[in-house]
Amino acid sequence: MTPLPPRRIPVSTGMRAGEAGPVALSPSLRHHNRKARAGLSVQVFALPAVLIFLGFVAYPVLWIILRSLAPDAAPGSPRGAFGNYFRALGDPVFWIALRNMGLWAALTIPIQMVLGGFIALLIERYTHRSRAFFRTMFFVPVVTSVSVVAIVWSQMYAPYYGIVQAYLHRLGLTLGIALLADPRTAIFALIIVNIWQWTGFSMVMYIAGINNISEDIFDAARIDGARFRHLVLRIVVPLVAPVTKSLLLLGVIGTLQTFPIVYLMTEGGPDHASEVFGTEIFRQGIVLGNTGYGAALSVIVLILSLALSILQITALGAEVAPRRACT
Amino acid sequence: MPGSGLRRVMPRHPGVFLFLLLLLGLWMVPIAYMLGVAFRPSAQAFDPTIFEWPPTLQNFALVLHDNHLLVNFANSVVVTGGTVVIVVAAASMFAYGLTALRLRWLNPVYAILLTTMMVPITTMVLPFAIMLKQLGWINDYRGLILPYAALGIPFAIVILKAFMEDSPRDLFEAAMIDGCTPWQMYLRVALPMVRPAVAFVAIWQIIVSWNEFFLALIVMTDPARKTLTLVPMKYSGLYMANPGALFAVLVLIALPLIVVYVVVQRHFVAGLLAGAVKG
Repeated sequence: MTPLPPRRIPVSTGMRAGEAGPVALSPSLRHHNRKARAGLSVQVFALPAVLIFLGFVAYPVLWIILRSLAPDAAPGSPRGAFGNYFRALGDPVFWIALRNMGLWAALTIPIQMVLGGFIALLIERYTHRSRAFFRTMFFVPVVTSVSVVAIVWSQMYAPYYGIVQAYLHRLGLTLGIALLADPRTAIFALIIVNIWQWTGFSMVMYIAGINNISEDIFDAARIDGARFRHLVLRIVVPLVAPVTKSLLLLGVIGTLQTFPIVYLMTEGGPDHASEVFGTEIFRQGIVLGNTGYGAALSVIVLILSLALSILQITALGAEVAPRRACT
Repeated sequence: MPGSGLRRVMPRHPGVFLFLLLLLGLWMVPIAYMLGVAFRPSAQAFDPTIFEWPPTLQNFALVLHDNHLLVNFANSVVVTGGTVVIVVAAASMFAYGLTALRLRWLNPVYAILLTTMMVPITTMVLPFAIMLKQLGWINDYRGLILPYAALGIPFAIVILKAFMEDSPRDLFEAAMIDGCTPWQMYLRVALPMVRPAVAFVAIWQIIVSWNEFFLALIVMTDPARKTLTLVPMKYSGLYMANPGALFAVLVLIALPLIVVYVVVQRHFVAGLLAGAVKG
């Protein structure tokens, strides 16, 4: 049995538990803080992070916003400040990508949560010596390079010699189609790969969440003779809600980052059926050199990501790293 | 648990144990298939099976003979190593300024930095590509290290800040009474105190940087500068008719990080359980 991590007393205010008020700082620390605020030299500690942020986040984001408002030079490119945005809204490929991203989020996020949470619960509550083994093995796909994953799965999906078709056939299910080459199935075939690769991440997050549930609560449930179903629905699911919320937040952002799996397995095809924002930005902005249009698509992805994240943070209280949501 | 030898060997919940083993077996099919094809003779490369007997090393002999995997491996090590060092240094310094030194102006800055985590890399590749071209950093390690660091620092700050806030302030007071400068306090008190968080942040950053594909595809166009994640594309063309060789390359590419993770996973999970993520 792994001992539960000790709950720490938050000391972010500089107070130790039991101290009376905000003025209870020791003289030396107060003195130091005055000095720290006055002195320029200690500000140096913030500099690297701030400079890297300004140069490699703030500047590129500002640049891409401005660039999206300027027309491209290529003949036939739309004019006007918002021409690139109107072009996106009028392009069926944009809407296919948006639909695919919606499908991607709607399928990968809940399935990874349920599978990962279920595996985490079984590992944390019902295994002992094999715990580290299971924790590590289910996480292996997360640390496997996505380009390796993409090629292995492409071979598995392949018609004639791929093992997916061969094993489904043995189970009595004969597929008359090539999963990646059929516009009806391509996006789902890619989603399965994503679920396979990232379920281990959900599992690891839930492992942390489950370990934060007090052992007393499990003991009480055991004494009450709670069934597994009740244990899951009434204790575990509500108490790991902060993890679930951050997985939702990270899942939406992760969905909008989708690129390598699609690029390497279908390149957005056949006939744009599995297009996502990443592949469209890559094609338009990098390959075809329609920088302004690519920039507009990039900004749309940014706005979507910010809007959905802020919605979740304000409406659900989601956090990127769930902390101290229940005590 | 004291008990007979048998009781110590047997899992306490054999049903769950067997179920997890079965599920793991299913989950590992793609990995097993990758190994299976890599270790089989090329004549059987297209058999729709997971394993073939007997295994052979001929694929590995072939790919180790004619490629530059070591160069790509070194590129990945440089890029990942550089990113991890910058992320840990910049994030821990910032978190230290925010929590231990309590530089008040950093609170709004922290809030702004956090929005970085909501910026998908899909938004950033195009501006990065243009910017790095202007800097002359295409095919330059800095062209990957600094963007990766910029995208990785905010999450690292969140984790390190949380750990530093939870650490006892007495240690800082004691260090101050001993006459430590802010730098000495950072190096000798703050960093050692949050070592599990540093390990956690570093391991996560290694996984992310080592496997990043999108930006690497655009920045590293020179074969001599390509990181390991870009290599399978080249070989999937080169060995189209010889999946055995292709899969041997895939095994060699996937292996380093899997081995590293298995070795360090204890520290990753420890950081996680110590409060990197709280439910």
